[in-house]
Amino acid sequence: MKIRTIILGALAVLAASAAQAQQRRITGRVTGEGGASEPVGGASISVVGTTIGAYSGADGAFAVTVPGSGSVILRVRRIGYTQRTVPVSAGQNDISIALVRDVLQLEAQVVTGTATAVSSQNAANAVSVVGAEALTRVAAPTIDNALQGKVAGAIISQNSGAPGGGTQVQLRGVSTLLGAYSPLYVVDGVIVNNSTIANGLNVISGAARGNFSSSQDQSVNRIADLNPNDIESIQILKGPSASSIYGSKGTNGVILITTKQGRAGRNSIDITQRVGRSTLGNKVGARCFQSGAEYAGWAAAQLGATSAADLAASAADYDAAAIKCHDYEDEFYANNSLAYETIASLRGGTSGGTTYFLSGLSKHDNGLAPNDFYNKQSFRLNLGQTVGSRITLHANSELLHTLTQRGVSGNDNNGISPGDIFSATPSFIELRRQADGSFPINSSGLLGGSNPFQNSDIIKTPENVYRLIGSVSGNLSIYASARQTVDASLTAGVDSYADNARIVSPATGYTEQGSFGAQAGTLFNSDANIVNANVNASVVHRLVMPAFTAQTSGGFRRERRQSNITQITGRGVIFPTVTSVDAAASTYPSQAQGLAKDFAIFAQEEFFALSERLLLTAGVNGERSSSNGNQSKYFAYPKFSASYRIPMLPSFVNELKARIAYGRAGNLPAAGRQTFLTTLLYEGTTGARASTVKGSPDIHPEQAAETEGGFDVTALNSRVRFSATAYRKVITDLLLQAAIAPSTGFTSQFINGGQLTNRGTELELDLTPVQSGRFTWVSTNTFSRLRSNVDSIPVPPFNPGVGSFSTSYGNAWIEQGLPITTIQAYNGCKTALSSSGACATANKIIDSHAGDANPDFNAGFSNEITFGPARLSALLEWRKGGDVVNLTNNYFDSTNLAADTLTSQTRYAAWRAGRPVYVEHAGFVKLREVTLGYDLPTRLTSNMLNGVVQSARIELSGRNLKTWTKYTGYDPEVSNFGNQPLGRFQDVTPYPPSRQFLISVSTSF
Amino acid sequence: MKKFTAALAAGLVLAIGCSDTIVSSENSPTSDALKGALTQAGVQTLTLGVLANDRALVRGDLSYLILTAIFARDAYRIDPNEPRYVSETLAGTPDPGGFSGSGGWTNGYVTIRAANSLLTALPGAVASQVSGAQRNVTIGFVQTIKALEYYRLLELRDTLGIALQPDDPAVVGPIVCKTTALSYIAALLDSANASLTAAGGSTTLPLTLPSGFTGFGRNYSTAANITLLNRGLKGKVDLYRGLDHQAPNAALFATAITELTQALGGAAPGTVPASQFNTGAYVTFVSGGTENSANPIDDSRIGVNPKAQAALQAGDTRSSKIIPRSTIAGGGVTTSVTYVGAATSNTANLTNPIAILRDEAVVLLRAQAYFENNQFVPGLADLNSVRTTYGLAALTPADVLTLAAARQALLYEKRFSLFFEGPQRLVDLRAYGLLKDGVTPPEVAGDPFNTAFPIPKNEADARGGRANLTPTCS
Repeated sequence: MKIRTIILGALAVLAASAAQAQQRRITGRVTGEGGASEPVGGASISVVGTTIGAYSGADGAFAVTVPGSGSVILRVRRIGYTQRTVPVSAGQNDISIALVRDVLQLEAQVVTGTATAVSSQNAANAVSVVGAEALTRVAAPTIDNALQGKVAGAIISQNSGAPGGGTQVQLRGVSTLLGAYSPLYVVDGVIVNNSTIANGLNVISGAARGNFSSSQDQSVNRIADLNPNDIESIQILKGPSASSIYGSKGTNGVILITTKQGRAGRNSIDITQRVGRSTLGNKVGARCFQSGAEYAGWAAAQLGATSAADLAASAADYDAAAIKCHDYEDEFYANNSLAYETIASLRGGTSGGTTYFLSGLSKHDNGLAPNDFYNKQSFRLNLGQTVGSRITLHANSELLHTLTQRGVSGNDNNGISPGDIFSATPSFIELRRQADGSFPINSSGLLGGSNPFQNSDIIKTPENVYRLIGSVSGNLSIYASARQTVDASLTAGVDSYADNARIVSPATGYTEQGSFGAQAGTLFNSDANIVNANVNASVVHRLVMPAFTAQTSGGFRRERRQSNITQITGRGVIFPTVTSVDAAASTYPSQAQGLAKDFAIFAQEEFFALSERLLLTAGVNGERSSSNGNQSKYFAYPKFSASYRIPMLPSFVNELKARIAYGRAGNLPAAGRQTFLTTLLYEGTTGARASTVKGSPDIHPEQAAETEGGFDVTALNSRVRFSATAYRKVITDLLLQAAIAPSTGFTSQFINGGQLTNRGTELELDLTPVQSGRFTWVSTNTFSRLRSNVDSIPVPPFNPGVGSFSTSYGNAWIEQGLPITTIQAYNGCKTALSSSGACATANKIIDSHAGDANPDFNAGFSNEITFGPARLSALLEWRKGGDVVNLTNNYFDSTNLAADTLTSQTRYAAWRAGRPVYVEHAGFVKLREVTLGYDLPTRLTSNMLNGVVQSARIELSGRNLKTWTKYTGYDPEVSNFGNQPLGRFQDVTPYPPSRQFLISVSTSF
Repeated sequence: MKKFTAALAAGLVLAIGCSDTIVSSENSPTSDALKGALTQAGVQTLTLGVLANDRALVRGDLSYLILTAIFARDAYRIDPNEPRYVSETLAGTPDPGGFSGSGGWTNGYVTIRAANSLLTALPGAVASQVSGAQRNVTIGFVQTIKALEYYRLLELRDTLGIALQPDDPAVVGPIVCKTTALSYIAALLDSANASLTAAGGSTTLPLTLPSGFTGFGRNYSTAANITLLNRGLKGKVDLYRGLDHQAPNAALFATAITELTQALGGAAPGTVPASQFNTGAYVTFVSGGTENSANPIDDSRIGVNPKAQAALQAGDTRSSKIIPRSTIAGGGVTTSVTYVGAATSNTANLTNPIAILRDEAVVLLRAQAYFENNQFVPGLADLNSVRTTYGLAALTPADVLTLAAARQALLYEKRFSLFFEGPQRLVDLRAYGLLKDGVTPPEVAGDPFNTAFPIPKNEADARGGRANLTPTCS
């Protein structure tokens, strides 16, 4: 208490001059373009040059008390409207202020610190803001899908078409080899977890062999759980120059999600019902056998059935089949059941200072394969309460449940992935369920009887996630005068989830029997418990002087991340209905725990001058973490920025701002701090010795320093906004695993070293070509390109330890002077080919830059045309260049079952001769979103349900309806190993992409 | 208002006050476990770690058993999928970057690291669980195994030298020449022996050893019996120090005789009974299961070099070690015989133990030391005690009039008594300069007569390339 008294005393002295003289009261009303009929509540009215301000009520009315009797200037701001400054002359005490809608979102508030924000007009960074409307225009499976094509500088790629997500967001390129590679997600101040919990598919697919889960489980990154409909806006801090405030978690950028809050005024209830379906988006096709002789020739070559009797038997098999040319993709990926989504929300507030937002979601998406689906239920309650005039409290909570069943897809070694089976099954073999309910054994001869129809019928892969994300925050206005304010805020939040994944693969399955013999019958049960908790506290002091405004903030942040994943695999479960591993003949348990604690202190100064045209910012964040070799050492992440709104512009230019920003951020070491002990058995007794990976007591975060500069221009009566940004991000102290002299008893050690540079350009062009009465056309466009270079690495060039196959197909490769996304592959043969046309591995010539996974550029074109009550919008994403390694083609080539056998066999021969034929250009243009909407006329809605319906709207929408690409696989957006920093580019019999169509009806009450 | 402020302040204090960011590992033990006070169970586990990793060197690295036998012209391994078993042994030189040349190194140093860590931690063992005498006997045992590991590494690298490993894991030790390495190993064994003496002969190890150290006629749990192994190894090392052609030291033959006699419990020349020949310490193997560490010689691709079979003297019952097999050929070599322990048809071969040092080897080493020391009578007594066991007539002094003749007789007995039991044949051929053209017939055209394995590429790379790798003895 004493300290507070002293501080307040000091502040009071400072402010003494301001707290004088006579005062007057100005009242007024804020309205929208509709005039008196459209009051605007929640607008902020501030007296320029002072800290005095007020908010408009639900009826748009406000009152401010200003010192002195002279003229003042009021600044009025409201999200969704263009801000206005209005002079109030000495004698005027009542004013009416009309705001214009901000169609191009010129006025968003951009976060600059834990508790500070500035108007995007002043922002020194190119922060992208995506609003609720843009996010939910077309229902997306997950929020990362909803951002695709909308953010300059983000490459957002889905891993496969499996229901329920699995999407990677890369902001400004790859920034690490071994560290964290996901942007940091923060929801209402809570750092939320975006881990991928492996679901155990490997125990039946054998993709990585063994008895445990693997990175090839086709798992989902858990940000997918969030309900996109609750989001008010998403701000994207793309790199360290903006994300420096998040210290050693900021290298990959930060995605700040703000959820909807209640508003004072009448309750509004919104209900949306969507119904639709997903259909197969693309097919790779397969060879259609035209005759018994053709099949017999294939069987001779592939199965060695070469004798005259064999040839006759093969032809007879073909002739006996009722259907000669099955389209297995059409037959299998034909899950036509309805998808639906019900969204309801209640938004309002009381005169007692309480605001509330309550929402619910129930969603069901279908996979393409039988029995695959994604269900999600979500409930949110956001409460706000003002206590007196100085305290504001918020409590936000979201309770989520998802249940996903994604079936089997991707790489496998057990002939279980449907794509793998189709690549090995000649076209006349019947696989569908028989009239008696049984499934035929696949008589292909290349597989152990695997039938995907049977597998999808009997194998269950449910994954249940229960998640709670909650936060409480309080703001206290410690001191407020006309010139100064001191505010303190505290936010505490928790993100906690339990992820239970199961695999039940009964012994009756043909694949199970073929793969595991006596051990057929597999169960897998994984329980993951993840808890992230963080506390933020900050104090902000704001000093407003006629010549400048200075905002000083400081505080601390604590974070704790805890995980516990227990898995158990059971084999040899002979009873098909039993799902307890107790019944297994052998079991394989594993447990992985994690605990990390971080602590950061930060301070920042923001300085506005020259009539708020100049903004200078300097800040520093000091952080220590249990992940570092030295757990007590602080690492500093400074930032500096400046922006200047240039005055005296030609009349057609409304605003022109130049900006430059520099910031540093880090990436915590994920491993390597300690030397672990390895256990070895000797005659069944446990022995232990130090692992051959030596601990590094001085391992520390990767350091990323980013300089970003650009300009933003608004012109032609705010009908055009153009923003250009160039950045250079230099990452030093890369986390690497380096070989050391084995005579030390260790073979490798995690080290910091080397340097990587990403350079890029980002452009945004927003236009309102037409805005006249009933007709509006808004166009928002993004463009970004990025080049990376490995400047140095203190180790010899290497294939990074990410999931990959072989240089025969294409592998990630790290070498000084090459882009970090380089693909290495064989290209050519040093010697003459063998008589069979093959090149021995030892003789193949390595091409260390056979491809590059990074696209040449990425662009998004979004257009929305409104004509009265009708609205049409479309979003196109264009990704030029970038390579993918198409191993799916290799599957079909090696069995000679590709649709175009000539192309396929030419390609296969080239591959055997050492050519990188599976490295393919994977550029595309995708029609991501299309919506056609219609607002029902008021005369119709006013009669509905006794007049409680305020508005109603019908929409027809589609997602990923069309892809234009030369890529020969299912979808150029693919990653067999899911999310990983490098080596995303591998296509192995993935889950095919789907097209989604939805009809929705939205009503507001 | 005041309450809220107070709560906020309390929250801040609480949050900052508890803000330590120290977290230790939860999943797997770390080397920190070695820093605290060792319990008896800890000593057990860490000692087994040393022994298990020594086994990993013996069985996991191609070079130790199989490639050395090929170099020594006792064995072939012919595999159409892996021609390097011939191309990098009898037809070319081993590749330091992979396959033949990179093995037999890392595992040895991992074992030595495990031993060094344990030896560093042992003085701090909990006194109530591990007594002072037990600490000493454990130090003596672990140090003896550490010396054995260095010796194994030197058997493979010979004059290219080996690296010495400092206790500080951050320091890369020097690569020293063979002479220095042998002296270092000898000193290690003497230091181990001093600890064993200090412990007192009847003191037992505070741990349970694998059956290879207890089940073959002698239980190495006591200081007295560990001393037998220690002195046997020391005698072997001193014998080869005496034969070291870079720095021959004839005085050490007498020392070796004394030590080898100690290793045989003081038995006079020619008096060790055949029933005691298999008594000794062994590496044992377990097939299948999680441990899955089978005897590596149990291998259908292995054959015996026909010249080894041809060298057998008529009536030698050790001929039973060589049995017929289906012919295998490749890379210019062919054989139709194999080692009895390589026959995969006999599943017991998967778990055949391999001797570290057994009394028959000690007897032959002592015979060798006697001959080198010009004591042909006791040498012949030891040699004949082995020779006559296998159905051959005793040699007379007239048969071994010269040292060359004595050596030839001795090498015959060693070859077949210790057939497929480790690099001893390679070491002897090398010591006597027999692995060269004109002395030994080439196996294939261009036979380079490899005598040792190179320093592995990853070791050389970590030392900045190949320069100055081969040390000279100053």
